[in-house]
Amino acid sequence: MSERIVIAMSGGVDSSVAAAMLKQAGHTLIGVTLKLQECHDAHGSKSCCGVDGITRAREVAGDLGFPHYVLDCVKDFEQLVLQPAWQEYASGRTPSPCLHCNERVKFGLLLDWASRLGIPRVATGHYARLEKDEAGKPMLLRGRDTGKDQSYFLAGLSLDQLDRALFPIGHLRKPEVRDLAKEGGLPTAETPESQDACLVAPGESYAEMLRKHFDAPARPGDIVDETGKLVGQHDGFHVYTIGQRKGLPAGGPARRWVKAISPETGQVTVTSDASELVDTEFVAKQVNWLAGDLPIEPLACSVQVRYRHRSEPATIVAQSDGSLHVTLKTPVKAITPGQAAVFYDGDRSLGRGWIG
Amino acid sequence: MIYADYNATTPLDPEVRAAMNEALDVSFGNPSSIHSAGQAARRLVDRARAQVASLIGAAPDEIVFTSGGTEADNLAVLGAAASAERKGVVTSAVEHKAVLDPCAYLHKQGHPVTVLPVDRHGRVDLAALEAAARADVALVSLMLANNDTGTLQPVAEAARAVKACGALVHSDAVQAAGKLPIDVNKLGVSLLSFSSHKIHGPKGAGALFVRYGVRLAPLVHGGRQERTLRPGTENVPAIVGFGKACELARTRLEADARRVAALRDHFEAQLLTRVAGTSINGGSNRLPNTSNIAFAGLDGEAITINLDMMGMAVSTGAACSSADKTPSHVLVAMGQSTAEARSSVRFSFGRDTTDEDIDQATSLVVQAVNLLHGARS
Repeated sequence: MSERIVIAMSGGVDSSVAAAMLKQAGHTLIGVTLKLQECHDAHGSKSCCGVDGITRAREVAGDLGFPHYVLDCVKDFEQLVLQPAWQEYASGRTPSPCLHCNERVKFGLLLDWASRLGIPRVATGHYARLEKDEAGKPMLLRGRDTGKDQSYFLAGLSLDQLDRALFPIGHLRKPEVRDLAKEGGLPTAETPESQDACLVAPGESYAEMLRKHFDAPARPGDIVDETGKLVGQHDGFHVYTIGQRKGLPAGGPARRWVKAISPETGQVTVTSDASELVDTEFVAKQVNWLAGDLPIEPLACSVQVRYRHRSEPATIVAQSDGSLHVTLKTPVKAITPGQAAVFYDGDRSLGRGWIG
Repeated sequence: MIYADYNATTPLDPEVRAAMNEALDVSFGNPSSIHSAGQAARRLVDRARAQVASLIGAAPDEIVFTSGGTEADNLAVLGAAASAERKGVVTSAVEHKAVLDPCAYLHKQGHPVTVLPVDRHGRVDLAALEAAARADVALVSLMLANNDTGTLQPVAEAARAVKACGALVHSDAVQAAGKLPIDVNKLGVSLLSFSSHKIHGPKGAGALFVRYGVRLAPLVHGGRQERTLRPGTENVPAIVGFGKACELARTRLEADARRVAALRDHFEAQLLTRVAGTSINGGSNRLPNTSNIAFAGLDGEAITINLDMMGMAVSTGAACSSADKTPSHVLVAMGQSTAEARSSVRFSFGRDTTDEDIDQATSLVVQAVNLLHGARS
């Protein structure tokens, strides 16, 4: 049945192919590109604000024959995604802004915008799949292309949000998507892979970019080893994350990792003992649970503690405060506060919590 | 498609196209060249200058061709501020960005800039204007008709009111030209800008009327064209088209305005009765072709996009944006809340609008509004 569907278009190959597939299926499409950043540097860098993405999306919509609009979300993106991300870095944690962007912008503002037009459905070019359970509730599944799977970034969506979402390319592998783009003669067939982090300038860390964006002070401090011995100084702890090896002072043991960051003292603790970095349990807070009631009895499942990471066997159990206590079967390295923990039963995402 | 966005731009008139084709094909010469090819092109520009001047009751020599309305506005504001001993600039809160932004730029450069408030219909406060018209004011810039609402400003009264202070008066007539009779002498302005593509001419041409004896500083330098106020080889085909468009506008103005006003009034009457919660922005003294309609409780952008999908082109003052979207600065200056300003849609009709278009437009708007009411429930 033909439906009116809003398709979110970044100007990349994935969302372009998603649009082409929906169009071919006979749907009435409304293309939208979210403008997330202001272009301050009009001629400096090539794609500083996604303007070329907007141009490509408009071209694809024109070729496929449906209207395309630009939604200016610059202020919202700053408030809903960038500001919280900076707050996390400033608290010695490592944020997951892509989850916030999906939850608050793509399936927040854009879904609201579609509602105002009387359109129930929003499609994106994410590598994830949706199916219905027996009760007709949506189930979020990993994309068929395991290397590209983005269900991790979507596991914070509510059932209502998922109910209105469409992921047309979730059952495809990337090379198949590229082939479809070439066959369909889409102008985005050859576009390079997009970065996972928006706003990032070459050669600069995301954290440092955010600090400059908000004109926040860097917090320099000491780098100490696990015994408390001073091994160096840093210019600001926000650029460090648990398990990081780069950017530590030379000299000393050949291999050293960040073990802890203290926002109170500004101290970064390093270790040369890899076993110091591993954990077997943690707590996931502010849980978004997609599979019925939270497990009061211990539930065997798997957990992924960051994007581009295997999921690990674990047992989880709900705490009285609604958080999940996670016990890993084998120790996992660098479980990082601020990152999302996403739970899976096979390919099905059960939900996400924030690592405390 | 039903095109109801004539204030954004207009289709090229076939007679304009024919005149431009001739200029493109036959008279390709550079108007500054001595030889016959140059002379032929020069004659075309001369003729266009007379046609353009004649639309506003000016002398041909008082016309400076520019790339469009925005450049003409910039030349007026920045050029006047740069050439005078006086530094002050006075304008209104509902001007087009082509005036407000150069004023803001001057403010940054240290010029005193006064932005006058308007009443709830968007009319400037003449008492405030008189109070602002002090001896240090170089320029008063007040638009003839507003692009969002069509509201007319009392430009002639304003020019009289500030005459004593000796400031130049500029009027942005981009929306008024071709829709209202304009006589620069009756208005008493020294500078007046207008644009080709709003009156069925091509994009890329505009004009600034610069009254004899008024001194302006140019924005670009590098030749003697346009009395050195706008050097560079003339855009001959566009200027020729602009000239023809002005001639057509002048001959058709009265009949067109009467016909379009009747259509527009019918449209407004229909909407006000058939769609609950509608009201008209801009008061009663407006351009004959413009309807700025508030749809209480609805989102103007959503109406615009739904109409686009149904095949009707209209416009919202607000740029397409989300939670933080900035509504029309014009409606906000008229005292509307953000929500009120966001609920408005601009319909603007023109030479090719038919009775059937109006009937169909009305039912499409009813449909779009019903769709949105359905979406809310």
